[in-house]
Amino acid sequence: MYIYIDGKKISAKDGESILEVANRNEIYIPTLCHHEALDDVGACRVCMVEITHKDWGGWRNLVTACLYPVEEGLVISTSSEAVRRSRGTTLDLLMARCPTSDVIRWMAEENGEISVRYEQIDDGSKCIMCSLCVRACERMGCNAIGTVGRGHDKKIAPPFFENPENCIGCGACAAICPTGHIEVNDTRTTREIWDKKFNFVACEGCGEPVLTEEYRDYAIANRDLPADYYTTCSACKKKKLASHFDKVGS
Amino acid sequence: MQKTFVVIPRNCTGCRTCELACSMIKGTEGVFARSRINIYKVGDERYMQMTCLQCVEAACVKVCPTEALVRNELTGAIEVDEERCVGCGLCEPACPFGHMHFELNEGVPVKCDLCGGDPTCVKFCPHGALEMK
Ligand code: SF4
Ligand code: FES
Repeated sequence: MYIYIDGKKISAKDGESILEVANRNEIYIPTLCHHEALDDVGACRVCMVEITHKDWGGWRNLVTACLYPVEEGLVISTSSEAVRRSRGTTLDLLMARCPTSDVIRWMAEENGEISVRYEQIDDGSKCIMCSLCVRACERMGCNAIGTVGRGHDKKIAPPFFENPENCIGCGACAAICPTGHIEVNDTRTTREIWDKKFNFVACEGCGEPVLTEEYRDYAIANRDLPADYYTTCSACKKKKLASHFDKVGS
Repeated sequence: MQKTFVVIPRNCTGCRTCELACSMIKGTEGVFARSRINIYKVGDERYMQMTCLQCVEAACVKVCPTEALVRNELTGAIEVDEERCVGCGLCEPACPFGHMHFELNEGVPVKCDLCGGDPTCVKFCPHGALEMK
């Protein structure tokens, strides 16, 4: 099938979202809650585009590009006046919620002028409720965090705000968070995340941290690799292999 | 024909030009520890060049929860698809040879991708100790 993005005729496949087609053709649509390996939920609303169709009698609509499936002849605009306005409002609201986030500020600047129409609440939180962390945790099979509460008070947290039983301290939530909201405190021997404290497995060779003990147990149970892969740090593994190669070679 | 990355340890003088070239080209600003090739001293005046072996059955590929490590069929290298990576970091401890590098604040691992088939370290080695054959 063919669709039109910003006046360009582009081939698309049934079942693809507007965002997938745009990405494949290197047409930029800003996103905050989309991730290639996770299911889309349409939470952030910055991927808004305007659509219409020759059979729709002039009717136009704003939709989220990450969720909207393509159809034959769809006409899409990624930066019309209506799109910019909608994106501007979304980013405005996000900035009000977390004024300290650089990512949101950059996006707002890119979209045009930053208008500060809403009262900014700087409570130190940078969370935009995109749920990428929850979806990453789900993908790991841990389901340690989720959305807690409702409406205005909705938060990302472990169940009952207690330190999460299922958390293995892998840190994927912190790595994937677009705003850097999730705190991880590492020392040489411990990691603290979501108020839960972990001990690192210390490298057999040099004592440097390898991964948390819980993460090691999870890996042994869920990935088909020998347990002794997780006992040594990368530098010591390389050193050992280098001298092995040297012996074999000479 | 697909070429193979070959190290010739007997020619290596331990000058570490390869490490510098790698850490410059891969945007790690000349930090040797973040180079994707590393030189190890294995004896008097004997050095070993260590880098990803691009294993046929790779442990890193096996543990990745999102198929973010994919083989480039043209070069044979296993490459990181940063868009698919969720940053769980398990590929680093999973590699039995220590060739994956993951830092939480970077969010995605770094590894040797053979520079798309034409490795920079090979071009910079002044002693003919690295080759693509
Ligand atoms: S903590 Fe980060 S990843 Fe999780 S929902 Fe908030 S902004 Fe998104
Ligand atoms: S990327 Fe589409 S709503 Fe967030």
